[in-house]
Amino acid sequence: MKKLLLAGLLALAVPGAQAIDFGSILNKAIDTGRQLQDANHEFTQDEEIALGDGLAAGFLGAAPLRKDAELQRYVNRVGKWLALHSGRADLPWTFGVVDTETVNAFAMPGGTVLITYGLVRRLNSESELAGALAHEIAHVVKKHQLQAIQSDKNSQAWAELGKGLASDAIARRGNDPVGLKNWGANAGVELLKNGVFLRPLDRSMEYEADKLGVVIAARSGYDPYGLVAVLEMLAQTKSDGSGLSVLDTHPAPADRLAELEPFMPAVEREVSHPQQVEARFRKIVGAP
Amino acid sequence: MRYRALAILLLAALAWVARADEQAFTNRATDLKERAAPDSATLASLPDNTSVKVIARGGGWTHVEAAGKSGWVNVFHLRFPATVEGSSSSGSGLASLGSALGFGARTDQARLATTGIRGLSTEDVKNANPDPEALARMQSYRADKPAAQRFAREAKLAEAHVDDPTKAGAK
Repeated sequence: MKKLLLAGLLALAVPGAQAIDFGSILNKAIDTGRQLQDANHEFTQDEEIALGDGLAAGFLGAAPLRKDAELQRYVNRVGKWLALHSGRADLPWTFGVVDTETVNAFAMPGGTVLITYGLVRRLNSESELAGALAHEIAHVVKKHQLQAIQSDKNSQAWAELGKGLASDAIARRGNDPVGLKNWGANAGVELLKNGVFLRPLDRSMEYEADKLGVVIAARSGYDPYGLVAVLEMLAQTKSDGSGLSVLDTHPAPADRLAELEPFMPAVEREVSHPQQVEARFRKIVGAP
Repeated sequence: MRYRALAILLLAALAWVARADEQAFTNRATDLKERAAPDSATLASLPDNTSVKVIARGGGWTHVEAAGKSGWVNVFHLRFPATVEGSSSSGSGLASLGSALGFGARTDQARLATTGIRGLSTEDVKNANPDPEALARMQSYRADKPAAQRFAREAKLAEAHVDDPTKAGAK
């Protein structure tokens, strides 16, 4: 039955497929919304990537990509090097700096990571940037966002999502409203609009991402204390009241530091020649 | 044990990243060390809540001035008061809570940062029109594996084997 529903859904995703019977489309979309919300549904890698594309396209509509090609390429190189040591090197890892003063970073399923310029310009070295990016990479590796959007508390949102997709996006504007040529991507857009994606993750997920992030940075040759330095900087920073500051969406920095403290000696033992890489970072990002 | 001593030595050899006179406080009774190593001489015993001036950071140690002396404190033995605005807005804790709960709308003026870049609110993201062109542009900046490897070599980033701590059976 599940396979049948998915097949119906995928038929909708075929570019160029003409939507004629809106009633039938509505039912299929609602069914698929329910199916994807099912905690037992295993997202395929392609579904995960498509969902992430939709989320990222939505996000970029609110926070534009910073117009600095050198910075964008630099962040992609740091991020890709880290991702090669993440256990999911095969994802199409994409990193973007978005032009907002709000201090935060966001991971999308499928390997897209957005970091705000407000956070980048507060960092002091490449190892700190690596610490922040590796935390987000860890969320993707552990599929934390997928787990969160499939959790029970979001079931209502999923039901609405199905209706929204069918009645609004699909029926009114054609089956490819944002040119993403994919139902999964449109689902990502809707998850952003209905606020599901913007809800804070469980604290346990954040602590897990901190630990795995430290490990990914250490495996990649960076000073594993880069993330610790970022958390200390955040501890000194007040929320900007936007609701999307890292201080609004994550546990308090002091709590995160307390969780990391007993964990660090074991990581430290494994690393040799850890690097902070300050000069290259300053050349690209500029003076503090 | 020998490896541990080696690791500590190597960490101590890290370049220190200078900071601009940040104020911090000890979060427990701790020692001010002569060098960035646990076995170095103790210059002073600092009680809990001692005010220190941060000079530089690197690895697991923080270079500080405290009790009239310059020395090193374990990075986890300091706490930092929240004194720096995340942007130019005057967001109080209450306002952030309101915003996180979906009410207590803030004016654009309040979210205008000193650099002229607006802060980002939950509502901004919910109400945004998706930008597939920006998505494509972002994806055009992707780095491939050889580029990432070259980039790592330039900075002498040496790969290390470290177990995933979140997997069962990890050390």
